[in-house]
Amino acid sequence: MRIGMIPGMLVVCCTGTLHAQEPDSLRNVSLSEIVVTENYQYLRNRNTTLHLDVVGKEFLKEHFSGNLMQTLEQLPGVHSMDIGSGFSKPVIRGMGFNRVSVTENGIKQEGQQWGADHGLEIDAFNVEQVNIRKGPASLLYGSDAMGGVVEITQAAPPFDDQVFGEVSLLGKSVNGLFGGSVMLGVKKDRWFTKLRFSEQHFGDYRIPADTIVYLTQKMPVHDRRLKNTAGFERNASLFTQYRKGAYMSDYMVSNAYQKVGFFPGAHGIPDPSRVEDDGSARNMGLPYSTVNHLKVTTHQEYAWENILAQWDLGYQNNHREEWSLFHTHYGSQPVPETDPDKELAFVLNTFSSGMKVRFTGSSVWDHRMGWDVQYQRNTISGYSFLLPEYSRFTTGISWLTTWKPDEMLSVSGGLRYDFGKTDIRSFTDPYLETYLRGQGYSEEVVEKSKTRSFPVKRDFGDFSGSLGIVWVPAKAHLLKANVGHSFRLPGANELASNGVHHGTFRHEQGDPDLGSERGWQLDVAYSFFGTFFSVTVSPFASWFSNYIYLKPTGEWSVLPHAGQIYRYTGAEALFAGGEISAKVDLPLHFSYELGGEYVYTYNLDEHIPLSFSPPGSLRNTLSWEKKRMRFYVEHQYIADQNRVARNEDPTPGAQLFHLGAGFRIPVGRTDVELTLSARNLFNTKYYNHLSFYRKVEIPEPGRNFQLLIKIPFKKLF
Amino acid sequence: MKTTFYLSIVIILMSFVLLVSCSDDEKQGDTTKPVITLNAPAEGAALQPGSHIHFDMDLEDDVMLGSYKVEIHNNFDGHTHTKAETGETTPFAYNNSWDVSDKKSTHIHHHEIEIPANATEGNYHFMVYCTDAAGNESYVARNIVLREDGESGEHQ
Repeated sequence: MRIGMIPGMLVVCCTGTLHAQEPDSLRNVSLSEIVVTENYQYLRNRNTTLHLDVVGKEFLKEHFSGNLMQTLEQLPGVHSMDIGSGFSKPVIRGMGFNRVSVTENGIKQEGQQWGADHGLEIDAFNVEQVNIRKGPASLLYGSDAMGGVVEITQAAPPFDDQVFGEVSLLGKSVNGLFGGSVMLGVKKDRWFTKLRFSEQHFGDYRIPADTIVYLTQKMPVHDRRLKNTAGFERNASLFTQYRKGAYMSDYMVSNAYQKVGFFPGAHGIPDPSRVEDDGSARNMGLPYSTVNHLKVTTHQEYAWENILAQWDLGYQNNHREEWSLFHTHYGSQPVPETDPDKELAFVLNTFSSGMKVRFTGSSVWDHRMGWDVQYQRNTISGYSFLLPEYSRFTTGISWLTTWKPDEMLSVSGGLRYDFGKTDIRSFTDPYLETYLRGQGYSEEVVEKSKTRSFPVKRDFGDFSGSLGIVWVPAKAHLLKANVGHSFRLPGANELASNGVHHGTFRHEQGDPDLGSERGWQLDVAYSFFGTFFSVTVSPFASWFSNYIYLKPTGEWSVLPHAGQIYRYTGAEALFAGGEISAKVDLPLHFSYELGGEYVYTYNLDEHIPLSFSPPGSLRNTLSWEKKRMRFYVEHQYIADQNRVARNEDPTPGAQLFHLGAGFRIPVGRTDVELTLSARNLFNTKYYNHLSFYRKVEIPEPGRNFQLLIKIPFKKLF
Repeated sequence: MKTTFYLSIVIILMSFVLLVSCSDDEKQGDTTKPVITLNAPAEGAALQPGSHIHFDMDLEDDVMLGSYKVEIHNNFDGHTHTKAETGETTPFAYNNSWDVSDKKSTHIHHHEIEIPANATEGNYHFMVYCTDAAGNESYVARNIVLREDGESGEHQ
């Protein structure tokens, strides 16, 4: 019944896929180059059986927000899970956390992606091109990519030897953000090197409300700014590439540092004293979190006549800390001597290696072989406990064959086997033991509860596979279908977390006996490219025999400040939905774009929806473009989300209006690019169903004016 | 060629509709939370150590109630103290649950919660959690104060 609404819901938005991507802004724009890039995208899409959105420089600039996910959210089927105004993480077709992978230069980004209040540590200024694969990509990227992949890739180096660079400046009114980025590059003979430094500072963000109602208590919002949500980020990166004949290699070192305050009213029991005005909209008091992500990667490539070999190697260090004024409910716990207010800290070290060999000898057959290895080690500190220390080793081998008898048809099939080993250390809490004894709990309860995490040693192994076709019956039509079986190893949090996460205020408990997550996923995408009209429809359906979710157990937690225990549990689950995007070229330089999406989720064991299901939405954009100017007006409709899991609140929908303009102004020998936008023009109060602050009834940021200035320059040798 | 193409699109779309409509006969699981109406203690109530708390509330659920829990812990950290003071007094902490299953609504009234006479005075959080049979949970949080001149909790 309700599913019958899906086709009706599917009406669309502006997607980069249909956009003519303008080439590198450093070069003169000519029509032929536009055609070339469009063909490139079309070719990329023809060569993969999964739906692929290629997002280029122009789209990234037009929708730039200083935050990569909030930019990509403009694409149907992609959502951002926000933590205030600054940081976010990706959700693709209703799947997030460890079910979606983000890769940069071929290496999978590894942080603490399981946490709802943990963002993605990527410098948005440094992103030049993104490919989004919706649907099961575990065949290519391993077990965590079952929901999709966000691939960040480097733009091609310029052809001529030159020194080049770019200065970008960003300002936002909603949180008083000012940010900037400087990039310098050199292309000389076989070498290509780029250096970038970016920084963003923002204050408390404005919401269109004077009070928020949290747990039936009215909490004042002073000056309509959400206290202590200020933050900053500082990123630096160095990229260098060397090419000689058939050999190519690149090296990248990057560091991303983020610090963001948490709204104190969202930490625990509503207490008006905590939300009193602190006199500054830019300070970051307790509680706050910091994260530093260091990444060193290299890519090696050699092309023989019939064989292409590639090797990616990476080391990542993700150091996350959550700070909150020392507090304990256990009378015997002393204040730590060093860093007394460090509540939780996780240091995750990841080593990754990925080898690929491609046999390109035949024009009809194409074989690819891959071998991936990853080792992770997580250490902890802080006065509170949530996730134990662990180490994890995974390895996978894959084979993918494509048969392309002619230009009209291609069939791809592949198989992958992954093996994983998780070793979780135990953790005993002496203060909790004393507390429970003092509370008069029986010895049995004390013994059971004082061990916050049990030692777990588990091995996992499973196959994933896929079979798909790409059919091009005529130049204007493209049809793809793909069926895949994917699996995911349970994360350490799902196996062994045990504690109250201040982000969710729930006692979350892992289950050491969990089986791996597995399911079948079916995807179809049809595109029509006409002279004045193009459309893409991409429905999907997935069935999981074992889908891991946090289930409320009805058992009361013995921990103070917690209700019932939420335990990671497997269930049979169903996902279905799709996206539509369309573009119509109108007379007088006008064009109209439509984008829409819908996701249906259903837990077949409990007969209820799954949590964090994105609401249906629809975007209508009318734009006018001529020479060096572009203007657009956009209407965004977000449907109500009443399909919620247990203990998740329904979220009402909203209608939003946005305006934007882009100019390229010739100054001297360069083009200065100005991008202006006004988001949420009418300062509408609305909620994001996927936001971390949704639970505490905090609306989304209000009206925002934004200015982005880009000044590129170059000098040929 | 064209006919085959359009035919295949129609078949694929139809199989999607069929596949998904299999779940049409979905039984609707219970996602409605129970309702807690906490009458006493009131927000900001001052209570006296060495007395019993006058506890009064109504619980209601659209299907079936499960259990309720009362949890009291100190909120000293909300202000200047970061650690419980030591000495003759002990910070008060309480955690207990009661079964209210097989009922759709109930009125609770009791004086079972005892504040020991040596409880440290100060700010506390008084939490009431209630679950229904399916695991839907709601809770109410109250700020209370323990003070020598607070109410004794007995009926006047």
